[in-house]
Amino acid sequence: MRFHIEVQHPERCVGCYSCVLACSRELFNSVGAKRTAVFVRSGHTLDNRFDVVVCRFCKDPECATACKLDALIAAPEGGVSLIASKCEGCKTFDCISGCQFRALALDQRKRIPIICDRCGNCGKFCPHDVFKYEEMKE
Amino acid sequence: MTDLPENILHIDLSASSVRVTDGSDLFRRCLGGEGVAIELLLTECARGIDPFSPDAPIILATGHLTSVYPCASKTIAMFKSPLTGNLGESHVGGHLAAALRFAGFDAVVIKGASERVVALHIEDSKVKIVHAASLWGLSPLDVEKALRDPTYDGMQSVVAIGRGGENYLYFSNAIVDRFHHFGRLGLGAILGAKKLKAISVKGGGEVPLKNPTEQKAMYEEIYRETVLSGKMGKYHDLGTPENVLVLNEIKALPTKNFSKSFFDRAERISGQAYAELDLERKISCPGCPVACIHLGSISTEFAPQHELGRKEIFQELKLVPYNYEPIYALGSNLEVGESRSVLSLIAFCEETGIDAMMAGTVLAWATEAYERGLITSEDTGGIVPIWSDSDSYLKFLENIVSKSNSFYARLAQGVAAAADKYGGREFAIALGKNGLAGYWTGPGFVVGTLVGARHSHLSNAGYTIDQNSIRKNSLPEQIADYLVEEENWRCVLNSLGICLFSRTIYSKELVSRLLANEGNNLTTDQLDELGRDIFHKMYRFKLREGFDLEQERVPERLFETPTPLGMLDRQSVESVLSLYIKKREGEGLHLKKEEKALLDLLSPRTRS
Repeated sequence: MRFHIEVQHPERCVGCYSCVLACSRELFNSVGAKRTAVFVRSGHTLDNRFDVVVCRFCKDPECATACKLDALIAAPEGGVSLIASKCEGCKTFDCISGCQFRALALDQRKRIPIICDRCGNCGKFCPHDVFKYEEMKE
Repeated sequence: MTDLPENILHIDLSASSVRVTDGSDLFRRCLGGEGVAIELLLTECARGIDPFSPDAPIILATGHLTSVYPCASKTIAMFKSPLTGNLGESHVGGHLAAALRFAGFDAVVIKGASERVVALHIEDSKVKIVHAASLWGLSPLDVEKALRDPTYDGMQSVVAIGRGGENYLYFSNAIVDRFHHFGRLGLGAILGAKKLKAISVKGGGEVPLKNPTEQKAMYEEIYRETVLSGKMGKYHDLGTPENVLVLNEIKALPTKNFSKSFFDRAERISGQAYAELDLERKISCPGCPVACIHLGSISTEFAPQHELGRKEIFQELKLVPYNYEPIYALGSNLEVGESRSVLSLIAFCEETGIDAMMAGTVLAWATEAYERGLITSEDTGGIVPIWSDSDSYLKFLENIVSKSNSFYARLAQGVAAAADKYGGREFAIALGKNGLAGYWTGPGFVVGTLVGARHSHLSNAGYTIDQNSIRKNSLPEQIADYLVEEENWRCVLNSLGICLFSRTIYSKELVSRLLANEGNNLTTDQLDELGRDIFHKMYRFKLREGFDLEQERVPERLFETPTPLGMLDRQSVESVLSLYIKKREGEGLHLKKEEKALLDLLSPRTRS
């Protein structure tokens, strides 16, 4: 099952990181907060409200535009798919800085960008319905 | 950034050096948290050491299940407490446990002292001790703003002390991630003595799941129970301040320095009042979907010359975390009956990094001591502490934090030290030198706090069996059994880093299953045994450092104020205590030296 995911109510976020940990479990069978495709951010103090960021699944994705190796291909349903063999050896990671929404992170181990696989677990494990997530018609 | 086993980071501030040791055997045997911390404390802390000596260690330990399952987000600190002179133990939520674990360090041992003010920066395997003079004197809030990196994705935590810790207040806290506290037993002062103003941790690594399929399924089961079962509803909805009205109704809300158990203005400082008037938002610890941290707001005005138009718009909001204990300690126990006034007192404690509960206990004693003429305006520099007058209390606290004269410097050592010098021991409300929590429920609470390893209501929750006794009487033996079993089991939960709020979810059977998935097979009986061993070790440290149950006193006031179970009488306290001691002796732990002294324990000291 794949999901359309959207951050609908960031103001509801309580900073529990359940989405982040769910993403880490799903993508890498581990728990961590850096190698993920969803982010909870609070700026320079926890006095700030939390901001929640996931891929916006652009129809014309700027990360793909930024990639000089043509490793990121715009997907018909929005967002990108990664051709890992083309990405290999890249040292500049223009895709990461290319995303103006700061929704793309680097997998420091594999040295490739982390692409959201639309599993929907961030939404499923959010206790406050920050995310809107709907199953996609295949 | 690697998939690390359990590592222990050792910091020597005197030598400005860092080393890492393998802790996997220790973590496998002791689970983490309390279990690991007490082992390290017994090894690293020299017998009879001055808590402020450079060699006195600070231990931080995360749990085996940290971030792997919901609500497992606690870091346990152990040290020698300047307040009690024995076991210093404090638990904190916030981002610290996850950040440490993701950085690859499951425990940290900090020893030595720096001559200059320093901060400790940990980012994965990079560990630096840096000169940080610019942070000295700042509030923990401002330190967090300075050190939190807004561009960092990963788990990040900032620990800081305020002026309370800098000035060696025996009840100063270390504030973690702005709204969480290593509270009660003076960790702030130990950091202050080491000139370690702040610790920042960035964890960008991961903890691999050993049995991903099972662990994901177990996570989901626990998550659903946490979010949907209603078991945690109280903590999210009104939070622990829900207790204000609950306890007031059964007449167990300590009021006016424990001279009453009912507060006629309780409604105005209730969880409901805060939710309606002051609540700004709620936040969680990472890994816990409950969001029990309630943040109230205080408005602060801009300078009057700049106030134009609608005044309410031209205000800034200051966020202040509130929960039940500070509300009782700085509210009903001081007869402060306005939510906003209590919030301003809590805010002061936050900004200076002092324990709100002991702050309230000291203020309550001082107010009464002043009324009785034990202390005078000469001592207080003209400040008169008055029940319900939060302004007088704010001034009083400021003088304690800055130790403006020898009187306030004495109060900075806590209520027992204050009463030892100025008198009024009979109404200095502490057990084991720690100020009491806000549950005036009966003998379970009193004995539980007295014998608890850290003299906290959370040690063994004696208040719960008292509250149950209102419906159905508990025999002394049942109370003693409950206190023993509850504290033993809590030692297991505290070793796993599981928040005690979620104790109804984490049953022994569940914990045993979860540990099996971690590759650590322990039956429920073995868990019981482990919990008991951890408790015994904590007591070994206490006894080694001179804790003597026979020297402890129950303040006379506690026998004069009715509980929901009636007036507390010496005989029933003695009976529960004797049975408790006997039960512990049966386990091989000897809490007292001579039989005859037990009566002395409960008899009032000569009035000062």
